[in-house]
Order: sequence, then structure tokens, then C-alpha cells
Amino acid sequence: MSISSSSHTKRRTSARGQGQTPARGYRIGEVIELTGFSADTLRYYEKIALLPRVGRAASGARRYSESDLSRLRFIQRAKTMNFSLEEIARLLEMRAAPQAARDEVRELTRHKLKQVEAHMETLDALRKELSLLVNLCRGAAAGCPIIDDLDNRNKRNAKPSK
Amino acid sequence: MRFEQEPVMTIKVEVFASPGCGKCGQAKEVLRKLSAELGAGRVQWREVNVLEELDYAVDLGVLATPAIAIDGMLVFTGLPSVRRLRGELERRLTAQPL
Repeated sequence: MSISSSSHTKRRTSARGQGQTPARGYRIGEVIELTGFSADTLRYYEKIALLPRVGRAASGARRYSESDLSRLRFIQRAKTMNFSLEEIARLLEMRAAPQAARDEVRELTRHKLKQVEAHMETLDALRKELSLLVNLCRGAAAGCPIIDDLDNRNKRNAKPSK
Repeated sequence: MRFEQEPVMTIKVEVFASPGCGKCGQAKEVLRKLSAELGAGRVQWREVNVLEELDYAVDLGVLATPAIAIDGMLVFTGLPSVRRLRGELERRLTAQPL
């Protein structure tokens, strides 16, 4: 991607970041840039009804609404947690109408919330550990004594025992 | 290392140190002196190499070295002044039943 096209995208994104849906909707190319999903993936999500039928221009080309983009961003976040597409479909059901959601869907949502919270705890522990390692390296004039120490340890451990 | 079996009239101090950390040596030296000053055996201290006990250090919230924990709680992040460290140790020793 060229610098000019990147800044162009940012400009459009920020202009539309205020909840304004462009009158004609987002073209598929724009949605690819904004979400990182491929065209095939976007069409597939529509086919399996993860997205409701996307609007069409007079030419027949897809035009995604702000609501479609919001769903896609949710899908993206859920995928980072490795939720299955089937689970994501249920969560989208809950997201669209929480009051009307079936018990089974509510239960799944609660379960997924717990998973996310557990994941956050794991990430928090990792963040602290990495912060400690980064801070230990800070202030060392030559290289990182911590990494050297860990490297040496790994080398020692890698030696076959006699 | 755990201290559960130790007598209750002492305090347990842990200095978290790492290779290449200049101030860690200072922290240990200060602690060695204060420990002698405050009376034999009342301050039990040990050095914790964070690389060898990384999980323990992270659990206590150690984010840099040196750091000092007293009775399993992180109390000082960084090298405290001798006065502050002595004050904290004395406060804890007098707060405990002898």
C-alpha cells in the first residue's frame, strides 16, 4: 500500500468514525481495508448469514452499512478469542436483541464473558512479565544482561547430559 | 522459598535483584547493615534472583529491580533511602508481639 493511499484511507476512516454512514455505503474494497477481511471471507460471512444480506448499488455491487461494519468488527474481535463461527453467530444474535435472546444464547454469552476475563488475566500476567523483562534491560549500557543470562542458561540446558 | 515455619517475632525481607543491576548491590548492602543494626535474627532476608523466580516476582508485582518485599508484600519499588528502609523495618518490628 502506498503512503498516499494509506493516508487517504485514514482520512476517510476518521471522517466516518463519528457514526456517519456514507449515503452510498462502503465499497467492498474499503471494508477490506478497514477490517482486514478478504473479499472471499466477506462474501462467505454473508452467505452463512453472519451478516444480513448486504445492500447493493444499482450496478449490483455490495455496499456495506455502518451496522455491517460494526458486526464485522465484532466478528474480528471474537475471532481473536478463537470463538467458532457458530458461536459468533449466536453472540451476534444476542448483540442484535439482548432482551429477546434465547436462554441458550444468554448462557453462551455468559460463558464467553468468563473466557474473555480469564484470557485477560493471562494477558495481564504476560504483560507484567514482559514489563519486568523490558525494565531489567533498561539502563544496561551494553546489550541486555538479562537476555544474555537467559541465553546462556538455555545453552547450558540444551547440552545433553552425560 | 517460604517462611511459614519461622518464628513470628521476625520479619522476612526479600530483595529482588537481577544480573547487571547496579543498585541491587546497594540494596543488599543496606539491608545487611540494617539487619545487623536491628538485632540478630530479627530481620531475616534473602536475595531473590528474578530470573530464577520470575513467576513469584511477577505475582508480587515486581516490575523492576531492585525491589523489596516484606513478609510477602511488595513494599519498595526501587532503592529506598536508608532512613525510609530503617523506618519501615522498625515500624514492623515494633508492631509485632515479641
